[in-house]
Amino acid sequence: MIELFGLRLKRSVLGAVTAVSLACGGLAQAEEWPDDNIRLVVPYSAGGTTDLLSRKVADLLQRELSTVVVENRPGAGSTVATGQLARGGRGSDHMLLMASPGHTIGASLYPNLRYDPVADFAFIRNVINIPNVMVVPASSPYNTVAEFVEAAREQQLSFSSPGIGSSIHMSGELFKNLTKTQLVHVPFRGSGEALPALLAGDVDVAFENMPTVYPHIQSGKLKALAVTTPQESEFLPGVPTMQQAGAGYGLEDYETSAWFGLIAHKSFPESGLEKLELALEKIMSGDDFQNFLPQFGAVAGEEVGEDFRAMVKSELAKWSEVAEQANLKR
Amino acid sequence: MENISEVLTLFLSIDNFMAIAAGVLIGVVVGAIPGLTATMAVALALPFTFSMEPVTAILLLVGIYKGGMYGGSITAILIRTPGSPAAACTLLDGYPMAQQGQAKKALKTALYSSVVADLISNVALIFFAAYLAKIALNFGPPEYFWLICFSLTIIVSVSGNSAIKGLIAAGLGIIISTIGLDAVYGTQRLTFDNYNLMDRVSFIPLLIGLFAIPEVIDFYTSRVAPHIRTAVSGASLTWKEFKGSLKTVIRGSVIGVIIGAIPGTGATSAAFISYSEAKRTSPRKDNFGKGEVEGVAAAEAGNNGVAGATLIPLLSLGIPGDVITAIILGAFMIHGLTPGPVLFQENLPLVYALFCGILVSSFVLVFVGNAAIRYFSIIADIPKTILLPIVLMFCIYGAYAVNNSTFDIGLMLAFGVLGFLFNRTGVAAAPFLIGFILGPMFEDNLRRTLLISKGDPTIFFRGPIAWVFIMLTVASVAFAFRRYWIARREQA
Repeated sequence: MIELFGLRLKRSVLGAVTAVSLACGGLAQAEEWPDDNIRLVVPYSAGGTTDLLSRKVADLLQRELSTVVVENRPGAGSTVATGQLARGGRGSDHMLLMASPGHTIGASLYPNLRYDPVADFAFIRNVINIPNVMVVPASSPYNTVAEFVEAAREQQLSFSSPGIGSSIHMSGELFKNLTKTQLVHVPFRGSGEALPALLAGDVDVAFENMPTVYPHIQSGKLKALAVTTPQESEFLPGVPTMQQAGAGYGLEDYETSAWFGLIAHKSFPESGLEKLELALEKIMSGDDFQNFLPQFGAVAGEEVGEDFRAMVKSELAKWSEVAEQANLKR
Repeated sequence: MENISEVLTLFLSIDNFMAIAAGVLIGVVVGAIPGLTATMAVALALPFTFSMEPVTAILLLVGIYKGGMYGGSITAILIRTPGSPAAACTLLDGYPMAQQGQAKKALKTALYSSVVADLISNVALIFFAAYLAKIALNFGPPEYFWLICFSLTIIVSVSGNSAIKGLIAAGLGIIISTIGLDAVYGTQRLTFDNYNLMDRVSFIPLLIGLFAIPEVIDFYTSRVAPHIRTAVSGASLTWKEFKGSLKTVIRGSVIGVIIGAIPGTGATSAAFISYSEAKRTSPRKDNFGKGEVEGVAAAEAGNNGVAGATLIPLLSLGIPGDVITAIILGAFMIHGLTPGPVLFQENLPLVYALFCGILVSSFVLVFVGNAAIRYFSIIADIPKTILLPIVLMFCIYGAYAVNNSTFDIGLMLAFGVLGFLFNRTGVAAAPFLIGFILGPMFEDNLRRTLLISKGDPTIFFRGPIAWVFIMLTVASVAFAFRRYWIARREQA
């Protein structure tokens, strides 16, 4: 006889209970991924662009797989949440993270991260790309990238950003490096604060995300000089790419965009990766997703798996160099 | 005529009314719970609005925003725990009132001030949006700089008995606010290589620690445990009392509207500026901070005056003034609408349908607010021996929930100890809070201005808006000195 929780049980009964529970456990393991809720970690606060896009992706994903719970874990330019994911541990086989330029920029800026932004993760798919646009106020005397660069070489001009280390700031630093100009960086806290200064002409230029500046380009308050992606954007017909407009000024290889893609811990189950890839393929070709993209001036991301990893690796190299040259290593 | 019927078809649907009611209710409840902010609630509600009609979706989110702005005052008054940052000012007089058995009066004052301010703010949105938007656009870094200078002068009026202690507290707040990454160079300041401190000290843990925790410590350290029951059944607010504060409420609302129309300044500043103005002009200025109805009214009018006005730069310019309006901007975009002048040209009926809904939301707030007072008031009848452990639990949960970070719990407790020491040494916590909020804005705008002008200081005097705030700052400082001299002469 064994006493358990005050109950006297025969050894045989206990044995039977153990056997049944073991069998159930075995059954559960034989089940396929996902056998639990999927957690999608957003490394930024609720309400930002990353959060907004993640919640849409989560909503679409859970129609294909199982319940997707979105968790916001902001801190130190996305590196806090990313570091937690890299450490792995319990539940990491159902945990995804929405990575964005902060993933590589953060790694270029912070000196002592305890993870490798490329090797420590499984790369699932780049889901959404949002181009940046080089914009000047309507009152600005510059109408082309060439005119702007010429002027910036003569005098000190300034560019705004929603904060140090943002992809918008780094786009400006990259521009500054490649064109060998001395642009002054004027940081704000968020695009909401940066935009009025640009509209009023207090700063000379910005390399803002498409959705932020699109309405102001439409209403004629801002002039779009170039888009930062290698392809022109269908939302801004007639606006050249930076590579075209800046040819001859060192901008032949200029390319930046805000990308949003799913990553996971490096030991993420293989079957899970396959299922996620399939599910993403399906939802991204669906009407719901396709109709969602234009609201953000966005296009679907293309890089899957190892291609996505390679993209992140080259982004990392690019931003590390920019951070080095702009003396931004902390 | 065609337009009016179009507006009414868009607006008069049961869905819209339900969205407003649900939004305000969610907002009040979430706003009242420390650590759960209206910002979070709006972000969480957003995905549910994807499938709604645009007007319904936006009214739901605006409802949450407005409800949350008021809801924060409930716990601020009852348990000295501001449910939202903007309610920190409300507790200065609201909590003393509750301790004197006037919780009900304080809650009603907060509610009706909120509703009146909300209405004024909405009317300003509807009639003066275009004009106020112009001011917002002319508000560059130099103008912000002077606005912040003016706001800093309110430290004197919330310092309690000693201006020196107030200044020390404000200085401490500014020092704490410098922790984190330098905004311009990105160097680490006072972070001791701790990643948790890189994004600056989180606001909510600081707020909860500073105000709620000292009450808990106080209760357990006082030798004779006072068994006070702050019965809410106390007297309610009479029309005569509210009428006395009406001037303050209207002035607070106007302050809120102006601050709200300028992106990035925030409801907390508006509440404190309104409070300070009310105290300056009140015949009962000595009663401020000790449980003055007018103090509660001023604070709530200030922060609710912001709620409608933040929609001004959003709707007329497409510029979100704070995080919540940034999310609402996202909601517009998801429905294929782009706020800004284009919206008024292409979707005028929709804009007016939204205005109708926003006006209705003010009235819904009266009902939801009254119901909330009835249910939340139970809190005040719970004996402290039972209530305080629960408060402590909510403090810990609230500090954790903002960033899902255990570090923030430690931070909250540390500020709790600081708040307790403040209480014991007679230092007011409000100046510390103001220093913490305004310090970085002061620094950022000073540096931004000089970056823009390439070091030329004449930019600080570049236009009429700058001069208005320079004169307000000088007048405010001069007034404080005058009061100081008069007080000295009376003593001598």
